[in-house]
Amino acid sequence: MPNTHKNRSPEASAFYTAGLILLGIVVAAFIVSLFWTPYAPDATDAASKLVPPSLEHPFGTDNFGRDVLSRVMSASKYTIFISAAGVAIALILGTVAGIPAGYYGGFTDRGIMLLGNSIMCFPGILLALVAVAVFGPSVTNVIWALGLVFAPTFARVCRVGTMEIKELDYITHAHVMGVKPARIMAFHIFPNLVPQLLPATVIGLANMTLFESGMSYLGLGVQPPDASFGKMLSDAQSYIRVAPWLIVFPALMLVFYILGLYFISEGLRVSLSKGGK
Amino acid sequence: MQSKAGYLTGKLIELILTLLLVSLLVFTAFSIIPGDTARVMLGPQASESQVDLLRAQLGLDKPLPVRYGEWLWGLLSFNPGTSYAYNMSVSELIGQRLPVTLGMSAIAMVMVIIISYPLAILSARKPGRLGDQICSVIGHVLFAIPPYVASLLLILLASSLFSLLTVGTYVKPSDDFLGYVGCLLLPSFAIALPKIAMSFKFLRSSIIEQRNADYVRTSKSHGLSDLKILVRHVLPNSNVSSITIISIILSDILGGSLIVEQVFNLPGLGRLLLSAISRRDFPLLSGIVFYLALITVLLYFISDIASSLADPRIRLK
Repeated sequence: MPNTHKNRSPEASAFYTAGLILLGIVVAAFIVSLFWTPYAPDATDAASKLVPPSLEHPFGTDNFGRDVLSRVMSASKYTIFISAAGVAIALILGTVAGIPAGYYGGFTDRGIMLLGNSIMCFPGILLALVAVAVFGPSVTNVIWALGLVFAPTFARVCRVGTMEIKELDYITHAHVMGVKPARIMAFHIFPNLVPQLLPATVIGLANMTLFESGMSYLGLGVQPPDASFGKMLSDAQSYIRVAPWLIVFPALMLVFYILGLYFISEGLRVSLSKGGK
Repeated sequence: MQSKAGYLTGKLIELILTLLLVSLLVFTAFSIIPGDTARVMLGPQASESQVDLLRAQLGLDKPLPVRYGEWLWGLLSFNPGTSYAYNMSVSELIGQRLPVTLGMSAIAMVMVIIISYPLAILSARKPGRLGDQICSVIGHVLFAIPPYVASLLLILLASSLFSLLTVGTYVKPSDDFLGYVGCLLLPSFAIALPKIAMSFKFLRSSIIEQRNADYVRTSKSHGLSDLKILVRHVLPNSNVSSITIISIILSDILGGSLIVEQVFNLPGLGRLLLSAISRRDFPLLSGIVFYLALITVLLYFISDIASSLADPRIRLK
């Protein structure tokens, strides 16, 4: 079982602190952007194009005179929303497929794992790109595509965990008492998988953001005029020499979000492995 | 215990089933697309008979199972039809672009190995020391930078430090091999960065684990030097897990190169894929997707076989 808060190792604490600070910056930008941004994210201003960072525009302005700080703040919304929704879908699909695979074993297991492995055979964002190519680029399609691509990762975690748990006495006991398999899986196995699913979920959020921003960069994710980190970076590429701030700030926010999640998952991993064995 | 032949047969059957499923996934995806391909190609002015004729030419009037069979056979015999948009054979188009993507992946893989191995070995010598901790923190940061962002930052760095901008000039390997490698160096490095971090992390923990094993202590008490223990015992034992990691890294590198090509404006498979997506060129698209998945499936197959040869205990699982 995971370590309690009382005797957390200093290594885990350092990871949690660093992770929460980095993640906090992005989440704070997102929450504030819901109520207030310095300028409207889409407001163009012909008089102040490509202005370097200054007091008026802390992150500078882009080629349309739009305020980069405001755009970065509103872009964090999509990053957070898409990764959260995609992971939720992947988590549900993965659990529904992975627990029965581990519980029943045999043919069910082989079939489900074969399907999962086939999905994992498409390198990187290829499968998500195909899905978006077929159904058209939109936020909803990106979420479904990423949810599908990441489902096998969660299915694996659930399957391995279930195979261990189902050998325990209390499951045999429940079985002998006539508890139905569906109930055993939902109420007796699933809650015990949470400690394994938690780090997988945090890593999943980070990896999904890597994929989503890549797709937005290619123009197959979040569609303009909405701001997203990937799209901002791809627009900024033409101005890389004259306006490097257009690259630096969205890139920093993107990396803060991903790195924050990695640190938190690393903290979870350290405290889980130290507490368990 | 399963015999070597039994294990191999099992893996082969798994390989074939996976390939079938992968091909079914690709085919299903491309046959449920909304809209009539022949109608889209000819435009709204074309008459019904013209559309029917083109549909027959493209083989779209046949029942789905027949089309699937023909499509799969075409792919496996490396003759997957003609691209709608380019009016060229798909295999020829892919063949033209392959040197960029494969070259980049190969260079990136070499970079991963020559950078991560020495660093991991040095770091694992005395875990927890300052150098080890610095490497670990840098590793975490590199891991979090998407390859295309790393590319942009590298371009930024290269253009401001050396005021050179070599982006967008691709040299064919047949014209000038060194120039070809040179123009792929920066993009390969961008793809390699997060994978160097990944390989470093796994290798480091695997070496540390092996160093604490009993046999290392025994060899030490027999008077073997640290270097000999490392080269003869620790590294070969760590290699078993690194075979799997390397196959995962290779597949990631291949996927990563699809985006990075776009940043550096290189004419590789990634750009072909994007143009096929935007022109809804499905023979080309399905060909690229299937072959890329095929490479990955074969990669995982080879890595499974290689690790079972390196460590026969794997066959027991």
